[in-house]
Amino acid sequence: MNNKVRKRKYSLRQRTIAKIVIALVLLLIMVVSSLLIGPDRLGVNLDLRNQSPSLDFLFGTDWLGRDMLARTLKGLVLSLGVGVLAAFASTCIALLLSLVAAWSSWTDRLVSWLIDLFLSVPHLVTLILISFTVGGGFKGVVIGLSLTHWPSLTRVLRAELLQIKQAEYIQVSKRLGKTRGWIARHHYLPHLMPQLLIGFTLLFPHAILHEAAVTFLGFGLSAEQPAIGVILSESMNYLTTGMWWLAFFPGLSLVCMVALFDLLGQSVRKMIDPYHAMK
Amino acid sequence: MSKRKIVFLVFMLASIVMVGCSNSDNAKANNEDERDDQLVLAVGGEPDEGFDPTTGWGRYGSPLFQSTLLKRDNDLSIVEDLAKDYKVSDNGLVWTVTIRDDVQFSDGEPLTAEDVVFTFETAAKSQSVIDLTNVETIEQMDQYTVQFTLEQPQSTFVSLLVTTGIVPKHAYNDQYREQPVGSGPYQLVQWDKGQQLMVEANPYYYGDTPSFKRLTFLFLSEESALAAAQAGDVDVVSVPATYANQTIDGMDLAAVQSVDNRGIMFPYVQTGEETEEGHPIGHDVTADRAIRQAINLAIDREALVEGVLEGHGTPAYTVADGLPWWNADTVIEDADPEEATAILNEAGWFKGEQGIFEKDGLKAAFTLHYPTGDRIRQSLAMAVASQLQPFGMDIRTEGKSWSELETLMYSNPVMMGWGSHDPIEIYNLFSSETRGEGYYNANYYSNETVDHYLQQAMHATSQEEANQYWQQAQWDGETGHSAKGDAPWAWLVNLDHLYYIREGLNIGEQKVQPHGHGWPITDFITNWHWTDERED
Repeated sequence: MNNKVRKRKYSLRQRTIAKIVIALVLLLIMVVSSLLIGPDRLGVNLDLRNQSPSLDFLFGTDWLGRDMLARTLKGLVLSLGVGVLAAFASTCIALLLSLVAAWSSWTDRLVSWLIDLFLSVPHLVTLILISFTVGGGFKGVVIGLSLTHWPSLTRVLRAELLQIKQAEYIQVSKRLGKTRGWIARHHYLPHLMPQLLIGFTLLFPHAILHEAAVTFLGFGLSAEQPAIGVILSESMNYLTTGMWWLAFFPGLSLVCMVALFDLLGQSVRKMIDPYHAMK
Repeated sequence: MSKRKIVFLVFMLASIVMVGCSNSDNAKANNEDERDDQLVLAVGGEPDEGFDPTTGWGRYGSPLFQSTLLKRDNDLSIVEDLAKDYKVSDNGLVWTVTIRDDVQFSDGEPLTAEDVVFTFETAAKSQSVIDLTNVETIEQMDQYTVQFTLEQPQSTFVSLLVTTGIVPKHAYNDQYREQPVGSGPYQLVQWDKGQQLMVEANPYYYGDTPSFKRLTFLFLSEESALAAAQAGDVDVVSVPATYANQTIDGMDLAAVQSVDNRGIMFPYVQTGEETEEGHPIGHDVTADRAIRQAINLAIDREALVEGVLEGHGTPAYTVADGLPWWNADTVIEDADPEEATAILNEAGWFKGEQGIFEKDGLKAAFTLHYPTGDRIRQSLAMAVASQLQPFGMDIRTEGKSWSELETLMYSNPVMMGWGSHDPIEIYNLFSSETRGEGYYNANYYSNETVDHYLQQAMHATSQEEANQYWQQAQWDGETGHSAKGDAPWAWLVNLDHLYYIREGLNIGEQKVQPHGHGWPITDFITNWHWTDERED
């Protein structure tokens, strides 16, 4: 049909850049506004408890009169922090393991075996196990997330390396007597950079959702921290009394933030690696 | 997703919702027909240990399947139940109990003094919460007379006679906790662990015949209990304060006053010592009496009752508010920051830069711990911290598991809860003998004068005399363990126990309930009945 090839006002590239900018701006607004919230906004105010959403309290207040908008924003930024740390650590692990895999055939088998091992158990189970063993809290969640989210990215990186190992310029380097370390630094690493960056942004939403899940189940961040998981699990007790706003807005905000990151990741991928992204 | 798919999905969802609604309507209709001599209750409190009184069943409220020698009446005075009479010797050591001769267990066998002796001997051997270490001998004098000889006079021994249900010697075995036989108003029909308990009236019961032949106790979570009540599936349901402003068709809210209290336990001594297990003891800030008294005065207890308990509670001043051994002089005028400031200034505490009291570089700051998962205690802790912040104390709140609290409670203020019909609780909480023993005196409180009164109360031979000493231990005009004296605790609130009860069901007058929700309400179950105004 002719409709399909109708001319668009902006090119794909322009639209992609616009998406990236919008996502970044929204995330920036979120972080900045949460930094502006002082501790007094998070405090208990028994006179104003159980308020449904209004112009004064856009997200309503909870049973202790705490402003849900302030708590949600704080929680999102807390989740963001956990996500950044955990995704970064996971990416580092993935990079390290994929380089190890490229070393020789037996290290490759070892890494593949590790990947299969971690993928054979559901994320959440390993996550609970690790974060509980390490002692819970912020530290426990970050360590747990980092140690569970690397396998899928490692698998991608390993496949990529297997491919370029056979490439002519690598073979030439080898014949010229370059060490494996030199090749890894000068050839492998630059080649993997785009994959790494995209892997990082795509790991991010995963990490955040799993943080919320593990906290919701009570194995993650402690009850004082206004994490989204804490907010959601507390609100469960009040849903039967009709206080829907306690779960609705924080949950929706979490989904929005995760969707924004996903959009960001996909768009960046389109920019850096158009061949794979458009497949 | 295409538009057609979305429409289909919405249609499916709508039809599921409709089917769900009509189902619950049917259930309601069925229930109304057969509810005349049956009740369904969701009051929680399924006992993990089963229904064996020798290991602790029935300590709160009535044991239901068994009956006790004595019992506490509506006004908490002690009246006879199985016993016809009881006497205490002048030195307080020998307790002689004569029991009724017309009592039969639910299997038709007669209840004699032999069963009473057997019950207490089994309880003494069970190593359970029932403390019979002070009992030297339990003897059967004749078929209906039992004599207890104590090592030390103990006025609170009477509480053991009130709370321990008598088990039959002939029918007691390893399975007893799951298949109890007793002389109480009801006998067990079926117990599906984790789900429900079904009981029916005991035909051999010697007291008033209950109006309800069958009772079903459902063990539900708080949310599902409320949902079941809204669906009309239960007749009595216990709810936490957060659900108390609901309206449920056909049910009324009943608030029963309790001594189920919540309060902050302050470490009483300076830091430095350790417990035998190596946990630190003491806190330098709360070791100062001025701090503890100031907190007691600065807190607005009414606001806590209104704000946290939605009005369903009363301000608490001691561990035993409203009980016969409570000293009414312990009530203080709180929400008084001026007076609190005066006390602090006198003791050398003055406001520093951030508006926080300081003394010799020490800030009036501490972490208030509460057990995680307990919403009332969490809310109370946060509300107290926010009340004391503008007053000039920097309090952080932190939730911990009970096993963590067991290591922290000696050196940190903790949000605790007590409340019992047995005054021995006062002894356990405030005697220097019990320092560091379990959860009781974990703040290492000790005061010689208080110890003296507590000893005299334990050694008293009559309840009236004992009550007098219990009261003096709280406040004798100069010292005591209440907020006017040493203030080792800041008692905050007594929770009302809340129940939604089917319209027309009269549960009679309830006595002030102890710590522990649920079973106390079945205490007077033989008096429950439908009132005539009920439309059929």
